[in-house]
Amino acid sequence: MVSGALLFQSLILGLLLGGLYALLAAGLTLYFGIMRVVMLAHAAFILLSAYVAWWFSSTTGLDPMISLVATIPLFFGIGYVMHRFLLARLRPTTMTMMSVLLTFGIALVIEGLLGLAWTGTQRRIHLPYGTSSVEFLGAQIPVVQIVSFALAALSLASLYLIMKRTQFGRSLRATIQHGQAAQLVGIDTTKVAGMGFGLGLATAAVGGAALSLQATIYPSLHWHWIGPLMAIIVVGGLGSIPGAAIAALALGTIRVLLEIPMGSTWAQTVFYVALFLTLMLRPQGFFGGRLAQRF
Amino acid sequence: MRNASDTSTPLRRGSSAVQALRGAGSGRLGPFAAILVVVAVLATWPLLAGNPYMLSAGVIVLNFAVFATAWNLMGGLTGYVSLGHIAFFGLGSYGTGLLVIHSEINAFVAVMAAAVVVGLLSLLVGWAALRVRGASFVIVTIAIVLVMLLVFQSWRSVTGGSTGLVVPRPFPDLLRPEHHRVFFYIFLGLLLLVLVSYLVVDRSRFGQALKAIREDEDKAQSLGIPTAMLKLAAFGISCFLTAIAGGVYALWFGDLDPIFQFDVVLSAQIALMALLGGVRYLFGPLVGAIVVGSALEYFLLNFGETQFHLVATGLLLVAVVLFAPDGVLALAAQLIRRLGPSATSIREESAAEVRAQQDARALAERVEEPGADATTDREDRR
Amino acid sequence: MTEELGAVALRTEGLSKSFGGVHAVDNATTEFYAGRINGLIGPNGSGKTTFFNCVTGMIRPDAGHVFYRDRDITRWQPHRIARAGLGRTFQLCRVFPRLTVLDNLLVAVHPPHPLAYLGRPRVASLVERARGILARVGLDHLETAEARDVSYGQQKLLELAAALMAGPDMVMLDEPAGGVNPALIERIAVLVTELNAEGTTFLVVEHNMEFMMNLCDHVVVFDRGAPIAAGSAAEVQQNPLVLEAYLGV
Repeated sequence: MVSGALLFQSLILGLLLGGLYALLAAGLTLYFGIMRVVMLAHAAFILLSAYVAWWFSSTTGLDPMISLVATIPLFFGIGYVMHRFLLARLRPTTMTMMSVLLTFGIALVIEGLLGLAWTGTQRRIHLPYGTSSVEFLGAQIPVVQIVSFALAALSLASLYLIMKRTQFGRSLRATIQHGQAAQLVGIDTTKVAGMGFGLGLATAAVGGAALSLQATIYPSLHWHWIGPLMAIIVVGGLGSIPGAAIAALALGTIRVLLEIPMGSTWAQTVFYVALFLTLMLRPQGFFGGRLAQRF
Repeated sequence: MRNASDTSTPLRRGSSAVQALRGAGSGRLGPFAAILVVVAVLATWPLLAGNPYMLSAGVIVLNFAVFATAWNLMGGLTGYVSLGHIAFFGLGSYGTGLLVIHSEINAFVAVMAAAVVVGLLSLLVGWAALRVRGASFVIVTIAIVLVMLLVFQSWRSVTGGSTGLVVPRPFPDLLRPEHHRVFFYIFLGLLLLVLVSYLVVDRSRFGQALKAIREDEDKAQSLGIPTAMLKLAAFGISCFLTAIAGGVYALWFGDLDPIFQFDVVLSAQIALMALLGGVRYLFGPLVGAIVVGSALEYFLLNFGETQFHLVATGLLLVAVVLFAPDGVLALAAQLIRRLGPSATSIREESAAEVRAQQDARALAERVEEPGADATTDREDRR
Repeated sequence: MTEELGAVALRTEGLSKSFGGVHAVDNATTEFYAGRINGLIGPNGSGKTTFFNCVTGMIRPDAGHVFYRDRDITRWQPHRIARAGLGRTFQLCRVFPRLTVLDNLLVAVHPPHPLAYLGRPRVASLVERARGILARVGLDHLETAEARDVSYGQQKLLELAAALMAGPDMVMLDEPAGGVNPALIERIAVLVTELNAEGTTFLVVEHNMEFMMNLCDHVVVFDRGAPIAAGSAAEVQQNPLVLEAYLGV
């Protein structure tokens, strides 16, 4: 029988992990909303950011979070350029399928370059607070997990504020909902969509830095992340940010809870089981519209 | 929107060369003859290959060609890009390997048995995956590969996990070069099988309906085509043929590792081959397999097991998607047409126009969809 | 209903569909008559196309029922509805661009049993029938052209021809006059009238009031997702509710 304390601890850890997943999935959802693009390179960019954080921290000895000062604007720029010069050139009729292959190609390039630059060796950041943990109602919570959750929560809150409170956010929402109408009221939809893409990629920068705190990284790791993230956005209903967030929290928690009886490898299958169940029961996802079925 | 102007329409006078490329000649038997010619030409490779390495490279390329052509039966005809076919290839290999190890049956009977089981399994998977279109379908197919990788790595007692599964050779007496030669011809036979299967499907009512689905699935449904059933049938046939290729590969290579049998990158490379050659052409995937397969071998030979081949594959994929989404055979066909006697520049214009029209429709459809972001209010819909 | 219109072919009861908070179709109860040319009009955003898509199974309604010849076809798959004899065209004309004009028609014929799918697509008797229909809409000279190579107006005719090839009892046309020149509009109107005289029921959705008023025996007017008036063309034109909805007077 599993003890109550262990269960409680797992629950907390699960929620913390789920929060991080929510941030990582938010980017994917954003791209999908903007262009109906499944961005397979998202996890590769997360990994790239994690590598930059690791490299920065191991060469300068400073906290890896400081690397965000450079990676967030850099990723934003890359996202904008990627949208403008690669994805926007695809024909709308074949956009979905071709964008998958295009972003797959980009993911491979990133993975290959990471391997060429830093070899396939497994890397891990060593932090002064790397092994310490905090006691919370009897549960031992590692500090790094709290830091990465806080980072995720902060970023999601900023994302929410940007979307809801700024002129850019309003334009982006208008572009997502009705591109032609947005154009008619004078929004430069190409530019706004490009910036939206940049915003999505900026979340990858944050997510990567947060993950680098607690994960051992190697070039092909992104395949292990993109699967769960894609499952999350389908379960949440493609295009729905709140849906993705709820699915992320729920699946992250279930995953950590299942690790107790099943071990970590088998627990990962929960994402895929959830994906298949969603398709059987509710192909449009649990929180989305009927978009998912058709795109 | 373009207005109706009943100007005379340029008819497409496909020259016979273009027809041959497409494998859809006017004659009933033309394309079948073309397949025989192509296979006969390929059969000379063992005579030309100077050493066992070149022979084994030939086997690998043929394996890719079989795989890519089988993939194209789904990807090309229905337009559903699957990045999960490697899962069925891997299942075919493991199924064959396990049958050969644990039972007394003939190795090639084992291949067929495994392929039948995998084919049935693919119907189950396809039933779930094909409930959704486009992006979700791709996501599901990738998920299948990742699940299989997880399962086969973890389930050590059966699969041997990462230490691998050694499959006994069907012809234990053969020396290595002979072994390659025999399997070269076996794969060539398999290529003949998939090319003929593709052609038969392509020219049947079934194939016609699949193409209708590719062009416009809603429209196909509205005309009474049972799209769900036909897509599933195409997926099943495609996966069955893929599993046969996987099974024969297991017998040839003799050593299975989940990392390679369920490698999502290889899945993308297969899609790349079909795309590079041209998904609308019978021989498109074969041409793509020869180009990409040779390139991969070349990189492996000259740069070894570095990450370089990933970068090269990635860049090639990006380039093909951006600059030649219809494949090199389409470019060749265009060239032939331009050089041919019936060349018209009107034809190009009209294609561009219709493309623009199609795109406008895709955009309009996108507009018709309700807003994607559930948090926000939605404007009134048309 | 002042005039005797005969049997009902298609009927909806309390049909509703909303997207997010917007009620695109809101509790729509309608009747369309067999052997007639029925019209569905309404201002932009009044939910006509969503209604259309709910009826033909492209969208699942949230509530309500659709009856076609007294059979409840709600939630049927679109292909099953088509096979029950209810054909349709799309708002922005949709043909299979890379199939030939002839194949666009042949694809619309349902094999009698699944095994027939393995047969060749060009069965002589079907080709003959397809050619007959193409001749009727005036596209017979284009049968070997790929559909993407013919003009927009010809594509519209082709779409109608493909719908007819399936041998429907009733055809639903979504904005047949949209984006085509007056001569072709006239030709489509004549075709619809002729086909109707031969027994095909029509339901036409249009903005073009003039086109509709001359064509239709019975008109239903939609506003904000529900019918606000029904009757002969002359009747609904006099209806103050309709004038208000349409012209904003």
